[in-house]
Amino acid sequence: MAAKAKTRTPAGASERQRRKLEAVASTTRQDGETKFERLIYERVRLGIMSALAVREQMSFNELKGLFGDISDGNLGAHARKLEDAGYLSCTKSFEDRRPRTDYRITEQGRAALNRYLDHVEAVIRATRG
Amino acid sequence: MSQAKTVNLDAHAMATLRYIRASMDAAGSVAVPGSAGIAMGAVGTAAAALSAIPNLRPYWLYIWLVAAPVAAIAGGLLLARSASAIHFVSAGTPGRKLALALLPTLFAGAVMTAVLWRADHIGAIPGTWLLVYGCALISASASTTPIVSWMGSCFAGFGLLALVLPAELQIPLLGLGFGGLHILFGILIAREAAHGRQS
Repeated sequence: MAAKAKTRTPAGASERQRRKLEAVASTTRQDGETKFERLIYERVRLGIMSALAVREQMSFNELKGLFGDISDGNLGAHARKLEDAGYLSCTKSFEDRRPRTDYRITEQGRAALNRYLDHVEAVIRATRG
Repeated sequence: MSQAKTVNLDAHAMATLRYIRASMDAAGSVAVPGSAGIAMGAVGTAAAALSAIPNLRPYWLYIWLVAAPVAAIAGGLLLARSASAIHFVSAGTPGRKLALALLPTLFAGAVMTAVLWRADHIGAIPGTWLLVYGCALISASASTTPIVSWMGSCFAGFGLLALVLPAELQIPLLGLGFGGLHILFGILIAREAAHGRQS
């Protein structure tokens, strides 16, 4: 489905406001903003992506430590969604006979995070004038 | 529509950016265990106690030169045990940042020790150690918990005191710093970590 990013401008919007809203719309992907937002926008997934943007690799337990009282199942489900989207790569190994899962951000994931940051920045610029 | 239910797009975007920044900061900091500080403090206290024995007093510098690597190894081992830090240092940017913040200053301290020893200014060594170690901790606090900067400031303050106070007070200040401050802040860091886990 070819979902083109649309700019809905209010009827009374000035030319300047219209240009700003178009600038915000131009930071979203042409092939479906909704899917992109749902993946990155969710708080835990955004936290995982942000953390892995500054650390080359983090274990499951290290990621869990960032979110306080999140359950293993919940964190695992969020990480799996990012992995399925190709945003994270996952390596499983054993450390002292205990299973260890390490995550890394992929190039695709880094690009998605950068796109999301561009989008947020464009929103701030547009709303602050 | 009531004003309270209106979503401020600008504030929401700013909150998102703050959350991203906080996540990056949390991932980019090294969790120093309080036990490492307590262990280093125990070694420092032992060195201070040995230096206070009248027969051993002339050898205080040798005692502390042996205690320093022992304390560093004890602290390093506890750091490595607590958070798989060997993997962390080898694979992560924060570990490298911590090493880059600490090691050059400690190297400068080692060079200054050799220079002061050769120039027969041994009395200036305790103050130099405390001051240089304090500065190293303040630098390292950028990639660890903020409480480390307070510990560094206390060490630097003790160092300045040691440089101006009479010689007989310098060894007690070394003990108070490398023994007392390490133990005190080790306990505070451990309490902070326990509080963080609960909240």
